[in-house]
Amino acid sequence: MTAQPGPLRPAPKVAGRILDAQLHLLDRQVLDHDGVPVTTVDDLELAGPAVDDAIEPGTPAPVLSALLTGPVLGTRVFGGRPPSSRLIRIPWKDVAEVGVVVRLGVSGESLDAGWVERWVRDKIIARIPGGRHDPR
Amino acid sequence: MKRLLRVALGILTAIGGFVDIGDLVTNAVVGSRFGLSLVWVVALGVLGICLFANMSGRVAAASGRATFEVIRERLGARAGLANLAASFLINLMTVTAEIGGVALALQLASSVYYLLWIPVAALAVWLVVWRVRFSIMENVTGLLGLTLVIFAVALFLLKPDWGSLAGQLTPAVPEQETVWTYSYYAIALFGAAMTPYEVFFFSSGAVEEGWTVKDLLQERINVLVGFPLGGLLSVSIAACAAVVLLPAGISVTSLSQVILPVAEGAGKIGLALVLLGIVAATFGAALETTLSSGYTLAQFFGWSWGKFRRPAEAARFHLSMIVCLLAGIAVLATGVDPVLVTEYSVVFSAIALPLTYLPILIVANDPQYMREHVNGRVVNALGMVYLVIILVASIAAIPLMIVTGAGA
Repeated sequence: MTAQPGPLRPAPKVAGRILDAQLHLLDRQVLDHDGVPVTTVDDLELAGPAVDDAIEPGTPAPVLSALLTGPVLGTRVFGGRPPSSRLIRIPWKDVAEVGVVVRLGVSGESLDAGWVERWVRDKIIARIPGGRHDPR
Repeated sequence: MKRLLRVALGILTAIGGFVDIGDLVTNAVVGSRFGLSLVWVVALGVLGICLFANMSGRVAAASGRATFEVIRERLGARAGLANLAASFLINLMTVTAEIGGVALALQLASSVYYLLWIPVAALAVWLVVWRVRFSIMENVTGLLGLTLVIFAVALFLLKPDWGSLAGQLTPAVPEQETVWTYSYYAIALFGAAMTPYEVFFFSSGAVEEGWTVKDLLQERINVLVGFPLGGLLSVSIAACAAVVLLPAGISVTSLSQVILPVAEGAGKIGLALVLLGIVAATFGAALETTLSSGYTLAQFFGWSWGKFRRPAEAARFHLSMIVCLLAGIAVLATGVDPVLVTEYSVVFSAIALPLTYLPILIVANDPQYMREHVNGRVVNALGMVYLVIILVASIAAIPLMIVTGAGA
């Protein structure tokens, strides 16, 4: 962090519900619109001024742009940062509801976040006899 | 009537499913060395698992969240991952012990060397996990496990001196043992009764069967009636060993010694029933631990999981269980004694217990998850007492293991 030019003004009042990134978003289960688990929120991506940039007064506040998953979990635990091209994003506009879980308004089938699951399914599990058998 | 039947079935499967290879071996070892002087630990452990399972079942029913999702949400990624690593490895150790237990019991029944039974047992476990419906799996293994009641029957047929047996119930260190081995086996017995996998399985099972708050009463009856009766089964295993093996100076090191008192008390039929019971109980526990390893991984990483889905709809969940079973086979193929693996796995279970217990205790008090179903005062008071007990057992386990040379 660079030295701040002066005391920050208090955050402006916002209408609606306040979400705490740590408490309500990080490490929460993400379900798609059918209630199928997609992933867990491994990290968050903010769009806004880059770290270390000087912030002019009147600059709009950073905006949460995406939930992240994939290798970013490793770097969150052990430190470091994967290059932006390696981040697997779930755009914030796809989020429909934040409660005990984060619900998406889209199907998990089309998301990048599901590619490992789809690969394991198509290459291994679905090829074992009975892999598509409905247990109920 | 149908409801009553469901309650009865739930209780019976809870009894039959309570005993696993850890309870069998640890209770027999303790009975043969300490008599009944450690029965109080079984009681402590049973009360603990009732409290713990009841809490995690309630969390699952009220919020639809299973244990490991909750653990990660509460502990965050870093502490959660450390917790996952510990819980998963100990669970894998238990999978190994249970499969070894199935193979040993089949060896006793068939005289075919147990190493040959291991791939068969693991394949059977996988087939059930792959194909059989959750409720059928639960009920069949639970009901067959009930044949372990033969331990209690054998105890009566052995016609022990009940007075002197009851006299052993007071907590006291026998002459030939030290206070250190006594404490070590107290922790092992506690870990055998309160294995963390039971909680992973119980809470995930509640999600699998789609429990809601309406089913809470049934869940509570299953736990509060079934587990104590299962605990009585554990005690009768220890009592059988105390009656037959303790006076003869035999300390249990193999499964054949565990069932020796039953053969002496109840003859051939008893032997057949106890072998059936051990196969059912260890096979049931092998299923539960295998599923638990899949549950913990899937819930931590947010994968799709559950036996209620087609395997293809929970691909990584099923793949991880296949890998775990293969790992278990690989460990057993080295020729390591499954009984020894069991003895270590129960102690490590006790060590890892706070890792799962504390997050559940916290979330069971969180109204965002639980709404009006948060813990009451009595449950919280008991919960705090157990938190202390669990922490003490967990911290004391490794020093005691070193001091006693793992209870030797």
